[in-house]
Amino acid sequence: MKRSSVFGVVLLFLTLVLCSGFHAWAADPIKIAIVGPMQFTQGEGHWNGATMAAEEINKAGGISVKGTKRTIELIKVDSNEFLSIPDATNAMELAISKHKADFVMGGFRTEAVLVMQDIAMDNKKIFLGCGAAHPELCERVTKDYDRYKYWFRITPINSKHLVAVDFILLDMVAKAITKELDIPKLKVAIVAEKAAWADPMVKIAEGKLPQMGMEVVGVWRPSPTATDTTAELSAIQRAGAHIIFTTFSSSVGIPLAKQAGELKIPAAVAGINVESQKDGFWKATGGKGDYGLTVNTYARVKITDKTIPFFDKYLERYKEAPNYNAGTYDGLYLLKTAVEKAETLEADKLVPVLEKTEVTETAGKLVFTKDHDVTWGPGFVTAIGTQWQDGKNLCVWPNGWQGVKYEGTVEYKVPPVMVEHYKKKK
Amino acid sequence: MGIIWFHIRKAFTLFRSEVLVLPSRVAVLVFVVALLVLPVFTQDPYLLRVLIFTSVFAIFAASWDLLSGFTGQMNFGHALFFGVAAYTSGLINVHFKVPYFLSIPVGAFAGVLTGLIVGIPCLRLRGTYLALTTLAFPIILMGLVFSFPDVTGGELGVMGLETLARSRIHVYYASVISMLVLTSIMWKITDSNTGILFHAIREDELAVRAGGINTTRYKLLAFCLSGFFAGIAGGLYAHIMRTVGPSTLEVSLSFQVIIWSIFGGIASIYGPVAGVFILFPLAEVLRAFPKYRMLIFAILVLLTLIFMPQGLIPWIRDKIEKECPRCKVRSIATRKTCRICAASLD
Amino acid sequence: MIQEIIINGLINGSIYALLAIGFSLIFGVARLVNIAHTALYMTAAYFILIGLDYWGMSAPLAALLAIVITTMLGLICYQLVIKPIREHEGAVLIATIALAMAIQEIFLIGFGGHYLGVPPAATGYLFLAGVKVAKQHLLALGVSVLALVGTWALLLKTRIGLGIRCTAQDREVANLMGINVNREIMMALGISVAMAAVAGVIVAPLRVIDPHMWMEPLIMMLAIVVLGGLGSIKGSFIASYILGFTEALVVFALPMGAFLKVTVALSIMILALLIRPEGLFGVVFEEER
Repeated sequence: MKRSSVFGVVLLFLTLVLCSGFHAWAADPIKIAIVGPMQFTQGEGHWNGATMAAEEINKAGGISVKGTKRTIELIKVDSNEFLSIPDATNAMELAISKHKADFVMGGFRTEAVLVMQDIAMDNKKIFLGCGAAHPELCERVTKDYDRYKYWFRITPINSKHLVAVDFILLDMVAKAITKELDIPKLKVAIVAEKAAWADPMVKIAEGKLPQMGMEVVGVWRPSPTATDTTAELSAIQRAGAHIIFTTFSSSVGIPLAKQAGELKIPAAVAGINVESQKDGFWKATGGKGDYGLTVNTYARVKITDKTIPFFDKYLERYKEAPNYNAGTYDGLYLLKTAVEKAETLEADKLVPVLEKTEVTETAGKLVFTKDHDVTWGPGFVTAIGTQWQDGKNLCVWPNGWQGVKYEGTVEYKVPPVMVEHYKKKK
Repeated sequence: MGIIWFHIRKAFTLFRSEVLVLPSRVAVLVFVVALLVLPVFTQDPYLLRVLIFTSVFAIFAASWDLLSGFTGQMNFGHALFFGVAAYTSGLINVHFKVPYFLSIPVGAFAGVLTGLIVGIPCLRLRGTYLALTTLAFPIILMGLVFSFPDVTGGELGVMGLETLARSRIHVYYASVISMLVLTSIMWKITDSNTGILFHAIREDELAVRAGGINTTRYKLLAFCLSGFFAGIAGGLYAHIMRTVGPSTLEVSLSFQVIIWSIFGGIASIYGPVAGVFILFPLAEVLRAFPKYRMLIFAILVLLTLIFMPQGLIPWIRDKIEKECPRCKVRSIATRKTCRICAASLD
Repeated sequence: MIQEIIINGLINGSIYALLAIGFSLIFGVARLVNIAHTALYMTAAYFILIGLDYWGMSAPLAALLAIVITTMLGLICYQLVIKPIREHEGAVLIATIALAMAIQEIFLIGFGGHYLGVPPAATGYLFLAGVKVAKQHLLALGVSVLALVGTWALLLKTRIGLGIRCTAQDREVANLMGINVNREIMMALGISVAMAAVAGVIVAPLRVIDPHMWMEPLIMMLAIVVLGGLGSIKGSFIASYILGFTEALVVFALPMGAFLKVTVALSIMILALLIRPEGLFGVVFEEER
């Protein structure tokens, strides 16, 4: 009796080992769920970037795990996160428990990503964030490493660093204006959407701008979804601002740029304006958003050897430039490198490998910091500054910053409306 | 021993003569039993998750029905109660470490207070005025949420709430049982004298007032009760999600609850519950057509309305059951005579 | 400062007036709370985009087409969806919500969640009392005043208007007097939707076209209609400007709180209702208890 039960246990154990081992040997595809708001530009970016990478990798034979080549199977999961948070969490659960995804990638709206992150962590699934910039997502890794270690951020850079880039850009604009128009003291209007991520930005700007020799003429905080900013613009013009320092991630960036162009406000629009990163911005503003400057991730410049081929291929295939959510492309390649090095798909073994992985992809050299955030700085991912110049979104920064200059970068142009206005005055 | 046996037999007879005779009661029984035993058969985390949210929203929809369906005080901003309670439980849970079994009731109490605050000005308003005014309250509150990001977290909301329970099954039972208990309570309330008065206010407020009844007090009571139950739903939601964000106050949530309730059939409590249990999982099933999901959803709602403007459940109920013209007791539609007084049906 | 507030208030107000008057009219005549009103405004915005970009039409033609198509669509939706269930107040309510959702989804499927734009009919700006005003905004101002005068003349000076007013006052008696109530309702609905469409066509070039653009104006419009008194066209007109000025005032007086403009406008509405529960110019529908 006793012997048979021992025998049974051994048999069961053996079967289990065999089954699990067998599983690893069989060349099943590796399932990667792309979770994003698929009906919106952000989700399209997620999906397009991932599709391109997956097709390329599969064409080359796939990812080799312990000698077997395994292809990638992408699962498109619509999180609908802009409209419903429960929907987003259900989508995440669906991806993990129904589709049995090995990895999850994507996410955009921070409120949703925070919840989706928890679900992924509950299931011990590696979640590569591509879209949400909030520091909290990575701070959680430091706070509770064992739970949150499966989270990594590929793109964009942490909003702390976005601030740094933002001010470097502002400084560049200020210098260009001073040089060209000889205005002794520049006046800056801070316009930031009313959102928690923009709050520190406003606080820092208010403190830092006077130190940079500029005068803050006012702070405007429209709602992120405001459709009309005429009143704000009238007030800004009245205040005589030379620079409109923007901090926008939502739709309000378009009416502001459009109406500022329509009213020919003699000021340079610079800062963060996520909408102006997209190709659709030009059409949406009817060309009125010309000369707007924004922090960006992709443009047709040689950030690394891979950037321009990726950019061209993407543009050709999807008829638009990639937005930063298309960082899923980099994410897949990064995953490939890490999996091949670790020779396993097991999350717990993969995490330490991912932590040490260094790869050079389209956005720059990807190395994770201690809190699983993408490293920012010269030689790593720097982010870029792009300005609309006659219908083209061109890279204008880094232009010699810390010795970094990407091939294809052009000079920043002071808006002609402004030149005209202030030259005439003299 | 004999007494116990007697009671068991009595219960059984009651069960046979009162429950099994009516298809609607059988349906409710089957529904309750199915919900309770489901985890025995499947523990699929996705399915359980969907049912957990369905239960929470069922409480929410029933609470809307208690106010708007019964008293006819159309509330277009029901998300207010939900959001206030969710934020309250979230904030006290995160900042003062109040455990969930206290924070949810406190949230519900906040819902009652909100009901009072909103109810008092709204008492002077009627019909469409009331509906459109109530729509404004959650939006105003949302403005406040964004104004004090240090407290509310702005668009990110309050993060890091305590979970109801570590395992999905426990959360499932917690939410399903709360749903069953709370909706039964709501149903009992509407069945009581108070509920009859609510109904009367909706039909003819002037007549009720002429009957010497302080309708203001009852309307306010309806606001508070509704706020209480919606508040519990909000608190549960907060602890299940583990974050509370401004999405709990959005107009779309207020609209959603109206759609669920009217689709299911108002002034019945079970109608809105059924509405949620049909529509919320339906939205998940429609994930098979990700692009057309919401469109199909909207068109289905429209079609149902055109053919059954009273709502789905009352329509079905009228098809399978008949009401006796003499004693007003319902019998199954196949019967020719009333099951109580033997009067001829139809 | 004051000129800016006045001019921006006038601009905001005139756009709201176009929306609110139409909504008020159909509410007055048919007691129909048409949540899909701004969804139709969005429809017109999309159709002008389609006309210009896809069919290569000239701007006036595209605008006309957008208005006509939207109006037809509004009438068809009414016949198909609202009319069969008109007696059920609750059902009508969610029918219009579901209709708005369906319209939103159709555009979401057709155009994705992208932010789109169309070029304005009138480019550039003018100086008005020292304030830069986009010509398109002046156009909006002009059209809204025109539409208002037109509606006023139609309602007060023509037989059609007489019929509509009769129906608005007492539908049953109007019916008894031999007025084809249903036709009057269709007529009023046509005017109402056309006004929403005009608003959509005029505003589209200045704002962003996207499938969710109907939400924000919806809330403001409802606030205006309630503040002005349901069913009162004069009330809607005046309330439009009150809330329009409020919005401009908030932006100028409290730039840090520019995002609160909707919140402040709604609070004013609630405060006003506390004093006058039937709105500023509302009629008390006592018979409808």
